[in-house]
Amino acid sequence: MSLVIDKFKESELEKDDFPCGQKNSITDVPGVRVGNFTFNRDIITESSHKACVRTGLTAILPYPMEKSIRLFAGSFILRGRNEATGFEVMDDFRYLNSPIVLVNPFNVGRVYNAILSYGFSLGRDEIWPPVVISINDSYLNEMKYALLSEDEILETLRNASTKKMEEGCVGVGLGLRAFDRKGGIGSSSRLITFDEESFVLGIVVASNHANSAPKASFHSQIELAQNEEDSLTIVVGCDIPLIPYQIDELTRNLVCALSPLHTSSSSHATIMCIFFTVANPMSMENEGPEIFEYRVIDDEYLGKILRASLSAFDEAFANSLLKATSLKGRLGREVKKMSEDEFQMRFRARKGENNA
Amino acid sequence: MDRRNFIKTAAASLSIFGCLNFNEESILQEVKERLSQRKRIRDLGIKLGDMEPGPHNAITDVRGIKVGHFTKSHGSGSNAVRTGVTVILPHSDNIYENNLFASYFNLNGWGEMTGIVSITHTGKLQTPIFLTGTYNVGIVYDAALEYLKRENPEMGDSERMVFPVVAECFDDFLSDTRARQISKQEVFEAIEKASDGLVEEGAVGGGTGMTAFGFKGGIGTSSRKVDGKYMVGVLVMANTGSRNELRIDGVPVGKEIKGFRYERGKPKSIILIAATDAPLLPFQLKKMAKRVAMGLAQTGAISHTGSGDIILSFSTGNIIPRRKSSLFHRLKSINDFWITPLYQATVEATHEAILNALTKAETTIGKDGNIAYGIPLDQLESIMKKYRRIGENQ
Repeated sequence: MSLVIDKFKESELEKDDFPCGQKNSITDVPGVRVGNFTFNRDIITESSHKACVRTGLTAILPYPMEKSIRLFAGSFILRGRNEATGFEVMDDFRYLNSPIVLVNPFNVGRVYNAILSYGFSLGRDEIWPPVVISINDSYLNEMKYALLSEDEILETLRNASTKKMEEGCVGVGLGLRAFDRKGGIGSSSRLITFDEESFVLGIVVASNHANSAPKASFHSQIELAQNEEDSLTIVVGCDIPLIPYQIDELTRNLVCALSPLHTSSSSHATIMCIFFTVANPMSMENEGPEIFEYRVIDDEYLGKILRASLSAFDEAFANSLLKATSLKGRLGREVKKMSEDEFQMRFRARKGENNA
Repeated sequence: MDRRNFIKTAAASLSIFGCLNFNEESILQEVKERLSQRKRIRDLGIKLGDMEPGPHNAITDVRGIKVGHFTKSHGSGSNAVRTGVTVILPHSDNIYENNLFASYFNLNGWGEMTGIVSITHTGKLQTPIFLTGTYNVGIVYDAALEYLKRENPEMGDSERMVFPVVAECFDDFLSDTRARQISKQEVFEAIEKASDGLVEEGAVGGGTGMTAFGFKGGIGTSSRKVDGKYMVGVLVMANTGSRNELRIDGVPVGKEIKGFRYERGKPKSIILIAATDAPLLPFQLKKMAKRVAMGLAQTGAISHTGSGDIILSFSTGNIIPRRKSSLFHRLKSINDFWITPLYQATVEATHEAILNALTKAETTIGKDGNIAYGIPLDQLESIMKKYRRIGENQ
């Protein structure tokens, strides 16, 4: 399965033939749990206005949060018009110590605060800094009224499970829109074998990009890229022993390889990739040891990991669209599901074109 | 807090925790210290650098900038609350509609400053700036968005979403931080109280519970005039540095000061905000942010691994409307060939802003009876005299 770069597929990707993990989900990565909270309600406000709430939250917990552990992580962002808290630590200290929560912008502060509460309730030192990524679902969702309570957020974090992640219109996927069709969240996983040792790489994709501008103002005539809300958010987790510069190499290459997905549209999306590995967990119990020792894969194999990531991306991206269902939302807008046929037409080049 | 309450609170917190190092006499000494007039470093006769400060020697000397505090200080023992929030309104207009160029420098990333993804990718500051305690960030962020939404009802619906800048330092030594005792209403109040002119310093706003260089720290500010044309202003929330590192105008003050020990305390972070009315583009503001780090170094700070030393710089010299009004914009920027005086101003103002946070902050007794002393001004003066930084032999 490949849709990002078909030529690439023909030449190289299939040679490697990465099988799926057991659940074909990010939860195949050892220790990773996912929780979704879907908030789909029509609220009558004080001024008798009917507010369409079409939002939710998706939490990816990279390790058992009761433990005080640091995981190597990194991110790469193209055209960042979103929020990513915990950015300074990930940028400078190169680790992740928090769930990664995807949520709409108006809930960033609430989720940030709830992650702190969650950490305090676990009896460990703290979960800090919280990593909260914003995804703007305002096309279908009335964000002002789509506010999550601390209890709802805490419950989602506590009930996160290692089961196959639900896809499509669940969690933060509910209000999303991509290619003017219904967007959502999707996941998949790949097994990568190096000299008989097998590793898992899992991915979550939230597709909310490549929409034509919903505005029809005078200004939009001269605006090229004012679709501020568009974004494609990718979270990759794996158990391959990578250290930060290798993670940087992978996130940069992965995001750049996806460029056909955004430049093909008139809109320019925020593309953000967060990548973590559960290999080499650094225990910070009692402030941790003086020296950490790591097992690290040779740079030679990064290409293969990138190909597996692209393969996993393809499927997760397809799931994010194909598992979603049509939805009515704010201002009477309706977004239709993308049909299998349309998907094939958009993303799969015909045989002849591949050789062009 | 009046004198009687202060003694009562102090005595209560000391007796609960059986703190043996302080008798009544030392508490009274503290009260005396507290009630005495705290001064800005320049008012002690200590001049830092060669350039002249602006009329208020504050970030508000950059026209249009307003600063507001909400200070929350009550209780004692394990429930002591010594926290608050400080807000910087970057210009007198609506910052959501009229953006400013900005940049940021992550000197040591053990901290949080939200809104940074959008600032690094757009080069623009689009919201006010909030400074608070570490665990208050979520609440302040939520309040900031509610405020922005109220001022700009279409934000996020049909108009651009923006992401507020909320930065933090850890005020755990003096305050019961886990309780996160700040409310949205209090954040709104800080915004309402924002004004230009003189800026309150020391243990106020976000700086209420901060400690720096083993003394009471907090909010400090300073400014410099550049070539009679431009202004550079810096505001800091100082919570960083060990006692023995502290240098003032090169004098190893931290090593010279006797007593006033900082029991059980650790150095933490510092947030530094630099502003100028000189027209600078984002890449130049990045360079300016790096000079802020050099100003920090002038205080002797070495940026501990647990210090979130995060710097934001912005310029009011170009205003970029959010709504596109024409195909092209007219922008200005200073020729890099002539920019050095701005860098000098930045280093000097940063150095002085951090020291103002120290000399203006009053001794504070907080959580679990922890005490952070205001730097003793009498000792400071005599040390600076000894090293000939004050007086005739200057």
